[in-house]
Amino acid sequence: MTNAGWSVVEVAARSLHPEEREVVLGDLNERGERAWQGLLDILDLVMRRQVMLWKRWQPWLTAFGVTVPCSFLLMGVSLSVCQSWLWFIDARTLHSADPARSLPMLVCHAALLLGWSWTAGFFVGSTSPRTLWVSALLCCSPCMFCLARFHIPSLSRLCLLVFLVPAIWGVRRGLRISRLRLSWAIALASATTLLIVGMGNGGAGRWWTPSAWVLNGILTWPAWYLVLASTRLGKTAC
Amino acid sequence: MMGEFEYLLITAAASLGENAYGAAIREQIEATTGHRCSIGALYTTIERLEKKGLLTTWMGDASPQRGGRAKRMVRVTGKGAREAKAFYDAVTNVSRGASWVTNRTRSAS
Repeated sequence: MTNAGWSVVEVAARSLHPEEREVVLGDLNERGERAWQGLLDILDLVMRRQVMLWKRWQPWLTAFGVTVPCSFLLMGVSLSVCQSWLWFIDARTLHSADPARSLPMLVCHAALLLGWSWTAGFFVGSTSPRTLWVSALLCCSPCMFCLARFHIPSLSRLCLLVFLVPAIWGVRRGLRISRLRLSWAIALASATTLLIVGMGNGGAGRWWTPSAWVLNGILTWPAWYLVLASTRLGKTAC
Repeated sequence: MMGEFEYLLITAAASLGENAYGAAIREQIEATTGHRCSIGALYTTIERLEKKGLLTTWMGDASPQRGGRAKRMVRVTGKGAREAKAFYDAVTNVSRGASWVTNRTRSAS
């Protein structure tokens, strides 16, 4: 096997579990396979492993229950937070609004964006880590779609992607620890829910409409799922 | 009942005994059947058989021949041996009247 060919095979083998990678590369070495044959073997194994993963419910729930809907909704929330921030700055400059009233609302809004994005990311990273590449692709598609159609002169296109920062942080955390400590999970889910209620009581009337409840529910359920997962699995790992 | 590839794999592992590991089983299957056995088919089947309790596996020693990488050692469990025997008996019984078996028996006698 040539060095270049071997390098390609090793890169392809990175998507395998470390133990399996060790064994398979050893087998290829022992048999003295050609690089292209080794590459085909590895890709065949990777494909079979992926197919086996998708026989479980977790990748489907992660991809189509969290990644796709949350990506769309969190882009909207990101935009809304950026818009609120602009209004807050303008209001302060023009002295046209009471900062004591608008600042807490802005902070709550930003905290909700942080909480929703982090929990969605943690859910994706912890529930189905081996299909993370599919989740990443499914997150990129709505982002590209919205970026291409974005036309608000006062805001940068990057405002759409603000949610990605806490979401990626959540994914990284989810990959490192498979589940949250129960107390943390309850605190996170309760805080998110209380913030929604707080936003509604704080005068943002659009938060109490039925459609808003559905959208809030879609963004909040991963947090409550994490509570359930922590309760059922018992073992703490935060 | 197990599938034919599962039977081939268990039988190859049983015949290799203490030396049963991925690459050796693969070579044994290829030598016996004359067909190429892919690494993907081999390791996904090993995992499935292990989940069914028909095999046990563990990481073996690394060797220079393998570029310093470890082997996945395989051992057939008692349950695996019983299921393989059941498969063999079924194939033997169902094959009794088949022309290729009777012709072979006649030509042998």
